[in-house]
Amino acid sequence: MFETMRLRSKIILQVILTIMVLPFLFPLIAMVQESLAGQGWDNYKVVWDTGVVPQFFRNSAIIAAGVIIIVYCLTMLAAFGFSKLHIRGREIYFWMMLAALTLPEVVLLTPLFSTAIHLGLYNTYFAVMLPLAALQIPFAVLLTRNFVNGIPDELFDAARVDGANAVTIFWRIILPLTRPIAAAIVILTLIGAWNDYLLPLVFLQTPATQTITLLPSFFVSEFSDDQTKVVASAVITAIPEIIAYLCLQRLFERGLTAGALK
Amino acid sequence: MTSTEAGTTVSITRQPNAAAGRAAPKGRRRGPRRPPGLPWILPAFIFVVGFVYYCIGYTGYISTLNWDGVSPNPQHVGWANYVQLFHDPVFWDTIRHTVLFFVVTFTVQTAIGFTFAALLHSKVKLANLYKVIIFVPVVLAPATMAPIFRQIFSATGQFNTILGDIGLGSLEHPWLAQSSTALPVIMAITIWEWTGVTFILYFAAMTQIDKEIVEAARIDGANGLRVLTRIVWPSVRGTTIALAMLSVIGALKTFDVPYLVTLGGPNYATEFLGTFIYRVSIPQAEVGYGAALSIMLLILSLAGALAFGLRGMRRN
Repeated sequence: MFETMRLRSKIILQVILTIMVLPFLFPLIAMVQESLAGQGWDNYKVVWDTGVVPQFFRNSAIIAAGVIIIVYCLTMLAAFGFSKLHIRGREIYFWMMLAALTLPEVVLLTPLFSTAIHLGLYNTYFAVMLPLAALQIPFAVLLTRNFVNGIPDELFDAARVDGANAVTIFWRIILPLTRPIAAAIVILTLIGAWNDYLLPLVFLQTPATQTITLLPSFFVSEFSDDQTKVVASAVITAIPEIIAYLCLQRLFERGLTAGALK
Repeated sequence: MTSTEAGTTVSITRQPNAAAGRAAPKGRRRGPRRPPGLPWILPAFIFVVGFVYYCIGYTGYISTLNWDGVSPNPQHVGWANYVQLFHDPVFWDTIRHTVLFFVVTFTVQTAIGFTFAALLHSKVKLANLYKVIIFVPVVLAPATMAPIFRQIFSATGQFNTILGDIGLGSLEHPWLAQSSTALPVIMAITIWEWTGVTFILYFAAMTQIDKEIVEAARIDGANGLRVLTRIVWPSVRGTTIALAMLSVIGALKTFDVPYLVTLGGPNYATEFLGTFIYRVSIPQAEVGYGAALSIMLLILSLAGALAFGLRGMRRN
């Protein structure tokens, strides 16, 4: 925005930017510092030696993978149907789904709780996976439908003239062409599922099923509030997320701006 | 829950396109008749709508009960829970907190996010490093960061140490233990976590501004600040409205940070609808009352989304 500028104003901008970014960096530095207070690296060793960290990670990974699979499959089918096939009253169906976008998770607590107990799903991955998927699908369908709208109809007409039915078109045209938006949806769903706290808090009661967002609370009771170890466990959970982001930076940023950009 | 919201921001900016597509159903008459699409959408539709509307209906029913969640014969009380709600000072506290929280977080995030985006569009050095630093908090789970924020803002925490170091020792304070400062701290944490989304959306929106208009304005003698306020800011208005809707829904959904950092306290000073519903429904087992609060929250969320959604669409 300010491209033609003198050196002096360039330096001023750089300084302003650096000062503005410091508060964002500060908690991360404080976090690492705190995790090394007291016993230093031994904090990490003690946390790791409890052996539960990989278990929490595995649970988060299973839940996130499950949610991603459900969201991906149902979204692709629905986006194709909404965008390119004939549905009477399709906008009604569409808006009924979109209304779910505004739904706060906490509203679902009581019904989900009693339903999960009835169906024997309490303290299983499904109790978290299914509601998460249901809450993620509307937005994924919205994005994918818009994306599929951009694929020219002539492509489908030509395929149909050549004798392709809807299933073939879906496999041969939709799935390959929607890869960019699918990547954005996978990332969005991943962040949503991985960082969710409320559903695991209510539905997962033992370390065998609990996710990494519950790890700090687990260590608070484990180490009777020895903050340094709790924070060390938080650093351990944060590192893979930061690495994943750094490796897939463009994909993460695109996932969150998907729709704002074509 | 929060990162899904990140996505929701954009919905509004895109809906006009979907609407435009609808207005002109090109090719429907020209090409061969389209195959039926209902079977394709039904799995997602039944899964989402069945699930969500079942839950809402169930919550609506429970909200007319006086029930602890386990007893086999709950007592029907009609509208009593809703009457109780309107007379509950804590409920009004949560509404006040939510409104204040929305106004402050939205304003500050917009200001910081917009400034960052403009600065990073100005050929500064190490742009990607700054971008990563602002965006990393978005990726980290609020639940993961909660312990360290509790530590930073405690009486002996790093925030007080820094205040002491820069000569503002007189401001040192048990930030989370005092009602007047606990809510601002919760807002600050939220701003830290979410400005990355605001920034990245503005950054993306600014890449779409026509360079020639900016050039022309500059040739006419407009300085950087003027270009920013007269050209850039109006051009990203769609993003601002979308972000406002995101912030309204986000404020209403607030749960993780106040629950984990202050548990809604001290003395309900950081209680939000989400934490209040949780407290009432689970630890206090007043399931009926919790359900009535949930229905109120649902109505407010829908109203908030509609208010901003409609504004966004009318604009187009």
